[in-house]
Amino acid sequence: MHTLHILRTEPDQTTTELLELVAEPEEKRVRLYSGDVDWDQLVEDIFVADKVISWW
Amino acid sequence: MSRTLGLCVTSDKHLDNVIGLASAAANKDVDLRIFFTGRSVLLTQEERFKNLVGLGKLYVCDVSFRANGLEGREVPGVGFKEFVTQARNAEMIEECDRYLVM
Amino acid sequence: MKKIAVLVKDPHQQYEALRTSLGALLEMAEVSMFVLDHEIADMDEAYSENMEFLDEMEGLRFSNNQVNVDRYGFQPANLAEIGDKIRESDIVIPF
Repeated sequence: MHTLHILRTEPDQTTTELLELVAEPEEKRVRLYSGDVDWDQLVEDIFVADKVISWW
Repeated sequence: MSRTLGLCVTSDKHLDNVIGLASAAANKDVDLRIFFTGRSVLLTQEERFKNLVGLGKLYVCDVSFRANGLEGREVPGVGFKEFVTQARNAEMIEECDRYLVM
Repeated sequence: MKKIAVLVKDPHQQYEALRTSLGALLEMAEVSMFVLDHEIADMDEAYSENMEFLDEMEGLRFSNNQVNVDRYGFQPANLAEIGDKIRESDIVIPF
């Protein structure tokens, strides 16, 4: 299972804990709040991933 | 066969992200549906909202629109039939290849 | 049937999250709603009625807030258990 995690804002304590709990060896994290987002790549990542979670 | 992407917008803070992702998806011929609900309906009154017109089908939760005092306001790219209920959002979950919250 | 986890962290979006959960249930999805950290901010008639409707539709509701468990009948779930449920879900909808 390859999960794409999209982080819209910097994770608070609850989000950080949940991310740790669902972490897998095969995963990718994209931080939208970093301000430097490759949107074309993100579209591809969304469809390549088995599952996408867009966190807060 | 085209890929379908459903975006559920729940926050009024991330319009730039919605436009960035929607524009990239449209450029890749992704069949895009965007549902605005909760406080995100306030985004429909921002100037930049019109950047989303033509990128995909736009839907607005009618209950949220009224609850936020916007009844009677026009929304670019959203006609009478696109003011919908949560049932439309649920249909998007079922029918789209990928569905995510922005 | 898709498994959906609705995660509710923003107290101002608790009602919106409940409505979204109900919409998904009506579309025959399997829905679990998790109210995180906060007590239900406004247990008014609308929230209460929709919560009962969610129960009747066999939606599941959990919380890691003990007040929600004791007062409003949410099933208790700690973050580790919620993490397991997120893993099992096809779709995750955070509010």
